[in-house]
Amino acid sequence: MSVLPPGLTQETFDEALDEFRAAIGADWVFTSDNDRASYLDPFDIGDQDDHASSAALAPAGMEDCRKILAIANRYKVPLWPISMGKNLAYGTAAPEMRGSVILDLKRMNRVIELDEEMGTAVVEPGVSFFDFKAELDRRQSGLWMSGPAHSWGSVIGNALEHGVGYTPYGQHVENICGLEVMLADGSLVRTGLGALDGTREWQAYRWPFGPGLDGLFTQSNFAIVTKMGLWLMPEPEGMAGVSIRIPRREDFHALVETLRPLRMKDVINAPYTIANGWRQITGGRVRTDVWEGPGAISQERMEELLAERDQGWWSVIFNLFDSPAGLDLRLEKIRKAFGENIPQATIDVRRWEQGQPQEAWMRQEVSLAPLGAVDWGGSPGGHSDFGPIVAPLGDRAEEVYSIIERRFIEYGKDPWVGIFGINSRALIFVADMYFTRTDAEETERCRRLFRQLCDDMQAIGVGLYRTHLRFMDDAAAMHSWGDHALPRLNNRIKAALDPNGILAPGKQGIGSWEVSE
Amino acid sequence: MTRNLLIAAGVMLAALAPVAVQSAGQGSRSPQDLFADRCAYCHEAGDWGTRVLARRVPDGEAELLKRSSLPAAYTAAVVRRGIGAMPQFTPTELTDEEIAALADWLDPAKR
Repeated sequence: MSVLPPGLTQETFDEALDEFRAAIGADWVFTSDNDRASYLDPFDIGDQDDHASSAALAPAGMEDCRKILAIANRYKVPLWPISMGKNLAYGTAAPEMRGSVILDLKRMNRVIELDEEMGTAVVEPGVSFFDFKAELDRRQSGLWMSGPAHSWGSVIGNALEHGVGYTPYGQHVENICGLEVMLADGSLVRTGLGALDGTREWQAYRWPFGPGLDGLFTQSNFAIVTKMGLWLMPEPEGMAGVSIRIPRREDFHALVETLRPLRMKDVINAPYTIANGWRQITGGRVRTDVWEGPGAISQERMEELLAERDQGWWSVIFNLFDSPAGLDLRLEKIRKAFGENIPQATIDVRRWEQGQPQEAWMRQEVSLAPLGAVDWGGSPGGHSDFGPIVAPLGDRAEEVYSIIERRFIEYGKDPWVGIFGINSRALIFVADMYFTRTDAEETERCRRLFRQLCDDMQAIGVGLYRTHLRFMDDAAAMHSWGDHALPRLNNRIKAALDPNGILAPGKQGIGSWEVSE
Repeated sequence: MTRNLLIAAGVMLAALAPVAVQSAGQGSRSPQDLFADRCAYCHEAGDWGTRVLARRVPDGEAELLKRSSLPAAYTAAVVRRGIGAMPQFTPTELTDEEIAALADWLDPAKR
């Protein structure tokens, strides 16, 4: 079945496709149903066809990109740039606007530079975490990668989407240092000190003379990012894997208050993950193994399952990175803080020192393990994540958590909540809605739940860190201060840089939130 | 401007030559290499794809290489369209020809 870009006739689109074929080679213009289907979102929270593409293009490099942009501008063909296209749970490779043409950058897959002395790299969009780890290993690098939960995605794509990892470099967007971007008119710009001919400092410092623009090109549709500089962590002398069990629901406030100063004083020097009870009961099971009743798994049943495995109502895991003596000091402070604030907590610690074989808890090996949970609620499964950004203050975190838990149960969904202490001053909640993709009632209920939570969060001034394609306009519209001054500014920047609106229309609601509002 | 950018790139590249980390459909890769690159992370013993399949296929056949029946046409369709929790592969990850070779190699009737 043919899908067309909005506003184009079949005849005009065919002409544009012929021009794309002439520009980059017919082998790299994909139009068959089978090929287009491979760019659908397999975990969509509704009908995949709502976000179907009309074709896909795979440029070999910059010149191909420039030619594609010229043609797209002429025909007003919307392009949806992807890197690895594995933004699972947030849309995968699919475009926000139905009928967009996928601009698949996977062929641009070079590790351009790896600087052992500076601890920096420059990569292209098609470098996945699998690829990057393999390249670090091949070169016997002394630098470590910070990878996300699953390794299939692109190093660039994950950082641009504000993805997270589990090392001191785990807030990936903050380790971007210098971008090369191609604007909609085909012009190429290097941000930061990359703007100087012959620079040696492009990856050394983010702040050039004048405004720093790296952030402008993350979670946006202002340009195509063609190269990214990033900082890499030197291999640590040692690591400690800390796992803490907190027995009671009502200890959450104290837990948040205990962790904040430890993270702010850099005692805990990497992101931590808090999991509530429902999030801990999935391991090795499917939902029907433990619950057949209607609605969400009850708190009583969940607590029974926790007790079977001697798990706490809350779990906290994080890794510490330091010399063995430094780890001793950090662990002493952590034990003291928990001893004073939550004496009923149980703390387990594993250790590693440089030279020893790596173990799974260190999370340094590439993996696709999280995909194993997708079928938790039924097959074919999918999930979408609601991700508010919350100050790590006991009252505030409790307020947000309580709303999420209550709404999930109200909508008949298990409140499956993880909370990432991503930096010293922010928690990112990730409340997962697992659903059976073929169950139209369930996916519709999940969409309603998501939008209900958007309303709830907006009412208390809380925004989202990332959303599925379906909720980008909703999330953008939540930024209402000053008569939506920030989304309006984004629209103005978009109009100035991409007057034909050909780059990723609808991305993060830029250029589209007002319409849907 | 273009010349200056090229000079800057030349300075940057002097330390280490860039390395393409995968062929993206260029050149030929054996089915064994394709399996190792694209499938093994989930479909080797103990990995999550194998664990999911263990719930659905006869005992002892959860690993793809141990299946008594795995028609090539079925594998080709699943790889391009996805199935269950397994996401699909785009033509820039595996070409039609690569999928066909991989599917034939996995099909016990064609081995």
